[in-house]
Amino acid sequence: MSDTHSLLLEIHCEEIPARFLAPLCGECADGIQAFLRDTLKVERPVERFYSPRKLAWRVLDLPLAQADQSETQVGPPQRMCLDANGQPTQTGLKFAEKWGVAFGQVRFEQPTGKKEPCAVVTLTRAGRPTLELLAEALPRIITGLHVPKAMRWGSSEFQFVRPIRNLLCRFGDQVVPFQLDGVVTGASTWGHRLFHLDHPEPVAVPRAEAYESALEAAGIVVGCPERRARLERQIHALAAQAGGRVVADEHLLDTLAEIVEIPTIVMGRFPDSFLTLPKEVLVTSLAEHQKAFCVENAAGELLPCFLTAANRPDDPSGFVQSGNEWVLRARLYDARFFFEEDRKQPLRDRLEKLKHLTFQRELGSYYDKTQRIAALCEAMASSLGLDGTDGRLVAQACKCDLVTLMVGEFPELQGIMGGEYLKREQAHDKVWRAVKEHYQPISADGPVPATDLGAILAIADKLDTVAGCFAVGLIPTGSKDPLALRRAGQGIVRILFERDWNLNPMRVAALALQGVGAKATSPAGATLEALEAFFRDRVAHQLEQAGYPGAVRRSALAAGWTDLVDLKARCEALSAFAEDPRFQSLAQSAKRIGNILKDEPIGGTLDVQALREPQERVLAGLLGDLEGDAERSSLLDNLAELAGPLEAFFAAVMVKCEDPVLRAARIALLRRLQGAFLRVADFSLWQ
Amino acid sequence: MHIQELISRLQHFWADRGCLIGLPYDLEKGAGTMNPLTFFGALGPKPWNVAYVEPSRRPNDGRYGENPFRVYKHLQMQVILKPSPAKVQELYIQSLEAMGVDLRQHDLRFEEDNWEAPTLGAWGVGWQVMLDGMEISQFTYFQQVGGMDCRPVAAEITYGIERICMFLTGIDNIFDLTWGEVKTDDGVFPVTYRQVRQREEYELSAYSFEHADLDLHWRMFEAFEREGWRLLKDFGHFLSGYEQALKMSHTFNVLDARGAVSTTERPGIIKRIRDLTCGCARAYVAHSEAEEQAVPAPVQGKEVRA
Repeated sequence: MSDTHSLLLEIHCEEIPARFLAPLCGECADGIQAFLRDTLKVERPVERFYSPRKLAWRVLDLPLAQADQSETQVGPPQRMCLDANGQPTQTGLKFAEKWGVAFGQVRFEQPTGKKEPCAVVTLTRAGRPTLELLAEALPRIITGLHVPKAMRWGSSEFQFVRPIRNLLCRFGDQVVPFQLDGVVTGASTWGHRLFHLDHPEPVAVPRAEAYESALEAAGIVVGCPERRARLERQIHALAAQAGGRVVADEHLLDTLAEIVEIPTIVMGRFPDSFLTLPKEVLVTSLAEHQKAFCVENAAGELLPCFLTAANRPDDPSGFVQSGNEWVLRARLYDARFFFEEDRKQPLRDRLEKLKHLTFQRELGSYYDKTQRIAALCEAMASSLGLDGTDGRLVAQACKCDLVTLMVGEFPELQGIMGGEYLKREQAHDKVWRAVKEHYQPISADGPVPATDLGAILAIADKLDTVAGCFAVGLIPTGSKDPLALRRAGQGIVRILFERDWNLNPMRVAALALQGVGAKATSPAGATLEALEAFFRDRVAHQLEQAGYPGAVRRSALAAGWTDLVDLKARCEALSAFAEDPRFQSLAQSAKRIGNILKDEPIGGTLDVQALREPQERVLAGLLGDLEGDAERSSLLDNLAELAGPLEAFFAAVMVKCEDPVLRAARIALLRRLQGAFLRVADFSLWQ
Repeated sequence: MHIQELISRLQHFWADRGCLIGLPYDLEKGAGTMNPLTFFGALGPKPWNVAYVEPSRRPNDGRYGENPFRVYKHLQMQVILKPSPAKVQELYIQSLEAMGVDLRQHDLRFEEDNWEAPTLGAWGVGWQVMLDGMEISQFTYFQQVGGMDCRPVAAEITYGIERICMFLTGIDNIFDLTWGEVKTDDGVFPVTYRQVRQREEYELSAYSFEHADLDLHWRMFEAFEREGWRLLKDFGHFLSGYEQALKMSHTFNVLDARGAVSTTERPGIIKRIRDLTCGCARAYVAHSEAEEQAVPAPVQGKEVRA
């Protein structure tokens, strides 16, 4: 008999919602691990398994019992326990009795912290069997799980994610005895429903180690990563067989792996005629309604076939394929109905309808928003030297698809449908493209608008949302950002950053605030201040995303951030310069200058004539180059040239000297040098 | 498989499993759940198994009888099992077999789909049951009805009759389904769904999208509401009061199909219906508690086949 056993626990339920599987499995695994650590004093990995009807955990090699535990109890002082003859007193006997030992087992010693010897007993508690401990702990851990959307069933008050129908719990060759809501643990479980059509008996799991193989024999692949990998292999193979590649969707693959017990991909076809629908409509409709992947050719054009998962190993009569095809046809028929209905009216004729679609209670309708975006687009276009009339045009068209049938059905197609409808109405290329891409970037690493007009529209739309919400007090705090304003703000900064547009976000934000006008409920000054802090954070995050080191980001940001092109150039230059051998010396000197000037009053002009030492005259001579209209890169070069002279200066010159005139001249010199540094970076933040 | 055969197979199946076979309630409604057999049956402690067909009207889904998949009015087969039996999923699967679905050939999945009926103050958790990728049933464990916790919990199974029939026959157009056969001295005449229903679809769609008098409907909505509260408050009549709530609900659906209810108005309108249905539910529960002694004892100890 081995001196360790393995634990296997499986909760078999009616189908658990896919989205709860991983979190519940994880939380319970943590609970088991904590119990093992606290009670058995062992650290063991807890293996996790889940499938639509199962949550399971396994821990290998657990001790059969807790280690024996001894503890020392301290009682009254020796003088109270023993009388003059060394015989036990009433107090002494009581102490022994309290801990259930004979008086002879009581020792007298001086524990730390006591001033005299005291009565002491050492008690040894035999470690309890692991089986018993598990039987107590596991039901407690399970019932203590945080179950979202918990339900009741039958006549019981018990709550769980879905009704529990079987409990399997083994420790070695024994069953860990407990029950939940009347379901008693055993050594067997249920396999796939198909399997049990021919096998009415439950599946025995002889050992914890044999769990996966026992279930696989009963038609279930119980590991989710395993199911996902098998699905992925089949998807690629079948797509290739169809002469294309799958339109990747990691999220959909995750979902499929969570909703089947046995991973099988089925390929089906739909009529070619549906390929006239925009690709996005097909991809979205297939994914949303049928949990199906699209297949595309090398040119990115869709093929008339799809891939979806079945919860069975095969499709013996072709029913699974034909059933899915049947449903998909109905869905695509609906999508085409929406598409054709929508196209009976030019997109832009819906502008009036936007008056009845609320954007934000305090900020009015989408029509109002459209008007504000139009003004912003015009202003931005003109400050970028682009044509403003297109800006107004796209702004008024961009929200019209919100009242189309298709976007009503698939909200995630907003923007995309507007663009597609405009394209089919022979709108100018840049117009429909701008509308189509104006919600971008949709994710942190998703694409940003590719066209100028699209970028302007995207910024104007997001900025109106951000500035408008700030103006009516809807400002994100801590982890609360229900309107996703941070994402919108990040989008704005990312677009500016990637397009190298010299557009001061705060100036445009001020314009956006003007647009909100009388709808604002907070004073404009306070709102601008909040917006400034907000955008500064977004810019800092953007620099981080761009991969600049912390020291570069901090010191460059402190020297100004509203000119993003300039900021980016400075970060680039600083990152390169940090490798230069002169850099450390220069940064040191810059810090030193900062320290010296910290307590000095601002003001005073530099009297070059008052300078005496050659080292300081050299520095004064260099000021001209530093303060000129030089390019950023040459400015950094000039700063680099300063490293040697500055070092020489600090070696030879004492700035805060006795002579007030000389001292004032030196302070003024340093002030001018600091000004030159601050055009690039605040080196005092360089760590 | 004909529509009427499918219905009769399901009725037999559930009757054999200990369900009363109920009748559709003779008022317009959007779902079988609104039938008092479910709404009131799901409340209170008494055991209650019932199955019935319910025509369900959804003005928004009207397509003038032109769309092969969507209709203004469709048939639901509704089953209520209270308390929900431990083998309720198995029972459901057996009902599929009774319809002629051989599970050895098909893909069956239960995918999360939680149900909520805001006008009834009701919600539950459960699944949409997918057969070869098509939703053929809704399966719900009622947690609340009429704003009150369900104790015990009832399981509700709703079959979409036309869909299942289309699926089983491979027919691509709802109007091509066969309703049943008329046999006369002159021969056998199959009757299609088209013959029975298409004109009705056309007229009802036209009514809800074009001809309904909106002003009248707003006035009716108010009037039904007043009438309902009068019945409930002045007389404690929860059944006739509930009928007024059902009329409010259908009137609202007609207004909604016409786009006459703005997004901002909508929650308020729904709440007015819910207030009345929940009021009726509370009155019903109070009434049955008062009559608690009158609980019918099980007729005989015979077990129901599971």
